[in-house]
Amino acid sequence: MNKPKLSRSGVPTIPMNEPMSWQDWLRGRRTRRETGNRVAPEIIRRPTSSSDKRLRTLFNGERGLPFKKTEEL
Amino acid sequence: MTSERIKAALSDITAENDPAPKHLKLASLVSAIFRERGIELVVVGGSAIEFYTEGAYVSGDLDMCVASSSTALTVRLRQEIMAQVGASGGPRSWRVAGAFLDVLATFENAARTPIRVLRGPFGDVRVTPVEELIAERVLVSKYPQDYPPARECAKKLLAAALQGEVETDWHEVRRLARSSAYDNWNDVKELINEQAKAFKVRSPYDSDE
Repeated sequence: MNKPKLSRSGVPTIPMNEPMSWQDWLRGRRTRRETGNRVAPEIIRRPTSSSDKRLRTLFNGERGLPFKKTEEL
Repeated sequence: MTSERIKAALSDITAENDPAPKHLKLASLVSAIFRERGIELVVVGGSAIEFYTEGAYVSGDLDMCVASSSTALTVRLRQEIMAQVGASGGPRSWRVAGAFLDVLATFENAARTPIRVLRGPFGDVRVTPVEELIAERVLVSKYPQDYPPARECAKKLLAAALQGEVETDWHEVRRLARSSAYDNWNDVKELINEQAKAFKVRSPYDSDE
């Protein structure tokens, strides 16, 4: 795998024509979250969906696992 | 993949309590065992968006579609494959490793750009092209009626794309948005220009419109 191209924000770009390594994907998580936070609320999980019943049963009344805070990524 | 390796993978995925890596690991394992039977799956919807943006959007279910298959994916075969990972339920939705997995129909993909590949810990994960997701989310944000959660997703996708965090073919975004599959070019262009302004970067369409 080639050395990854970097984004404007300095993390490995998810490439179009070659696989991205697991490590490179992990490295970019926090920065990708921060980028999104500039344009929309931090958490944008849908409040409801057709899967609500099964999700809320499995996840203690929530629709999925809690998200890590940006600073913990 | 040996049963020991599957067992170790399931243990790792079950213990993972961070939604995005959990889904990526699960997609990696499931893709690997379907691949052994000649079936390629692709991640669609919220999980695909999450992998590109870390947008805190995904819920507790992972949606995948069939990208290609060298064999008929019968109900029986799906159930046999999912039995390998100790799943319960079916025949299109299973509970596995503390999440829900849906294997939906054949992948609907109008994009000419490649399905992206993330090298997961148990095997490669194929992800819907970002160009398709951009056109799709903008459409869903407007039709059949305004839907703010889809607009937030579209904004986060565009932010990642404009920052170069996801390599994006802007010509393909425009082609898709102008195609009959989406027919929403004005909406897409408007949101891209708005996001480019927010990031103080040049819109990819500045010079050619």
